Amino acid sequence: MAELSVRRAPLVWWAGGIFLGLVQVLAVGLADPLGVSTQFVIADTQVLGKIDNSYVQQHPLIGQEKYQKIGYGWWLDIGILAGAFFAALVTLRWRLRCSTVWWRATHGPSVAGRFLAGFIGGFLVLLGARFAHGCTSGQFASGWAQLSLAAVPFTLTMLIFGILTAFITYRKVPQIEK
Amino acid sequence: MSQQTLGFIIGALFGAGLFWGGLADPDKIIGMLRLKDFHALRTIAVFIIVGMLGTWILDLAGLAHYNVKPAFILSMLIGGALLGIGFGLTGYCPGTGLACLAAGRIDALITVLGMFAGALVFILIYPSVAQPLEAIANYGKVRLWEITVIPQWLWVVGIVLITTFLLILTRPRGRKNSV
Repeated sequence: MAELSVRRAPLVWWAGGIFLGLVQVLAVGLADPLGVSTQFVIADTQVLGKIDNSYVQQHPLIGQEKYQKIGYGWWLDIGILAGAFFAALVTLRWRLRCSTVWWRATHGPSVAGRFLAGFIGGFLVLLGARFAHGCTSGQFASGWAQLSLAAVPFTLTMLIFGILTAFITYRKVPQIEK
Repeated sequence: MSQQTLGFIIGALFGAGLFWGGLADPDKIIGMLRLKDFHALRTIAVFIIVGMLGTWILDLAGLAHYNVKPAFILSMLIGGALLGIGFGLTGYCPGTGLACLAAGRIDALITVLGMFAGALVFILIYPSVAQPLEAIANYGKVRLWEITVIPQWLWVVGIVLITTFLLILTRPRGRKNSV
């Protein structure tokens, strides 16, 4: 069923933030800072390797060993799927749905538009993440945790273009549960 | 513990945290980017402060594993812009896209498929487009205190102050002082 208003998150902001911050500290202490988007390139590399392995081996990017190795980062992404599935189940929030409250407020109940925008959006997110060598996890969250210079220009344009696009795409404001 | 097991455990905690914290919720992300619902912003602010302080403490103890990305300034600006457009269009980023897919969102599955397509196009255009871009304004794998006269501790204090200011600025108003 479609929800009529934006639901409150399971955890209050400070509790969610502390939890995620501690996961980051655990990752930095035990293995490697959090990051997600590299694995999409690794998955594609696996498929490309089956089709034309010589192309992969000669490629300046995916010819590198780190793009051919299924390891820590790969299992981190699998873990995200498992952890979120569990988290949704125990809060009784696991539910099949095709659209969002904000999308319906402006664009109505049809899901075709949401799917089209979703595909294009996902395409741009990963393309951008690779130009930036990281996404909102690896470049933004881990970048600021490590105080890296690269996080500064990335954050700047991500916020400007993210806010602009959201204002253009989502003109009507739905009810938001306080 | 093997790297695979460790990755899975940290990933599972991260995925659960993204969901419980409300970041794996495109409505919360769009509410933040539309400057109407600051829950996600406040969660992210605390996430950054705790992550940064914890990394700093680990660093002082000599226990931090750094993975600093190379600062190709132009490539970062373009990447941030493209990611920002996709983020503002969908409310998903790679991590929350996967988490939302696992929570039953079909539109997140479509977005994740778009991500695989985006990664493929990046591979194809890397030699001709992305690699030359990376050579422009390349400052290497540096941290802020290594290229400025400002020491590490002052960066940490400064960012804590800025994020605290953001938290005060976006504090919930009205009678109910909950979220």
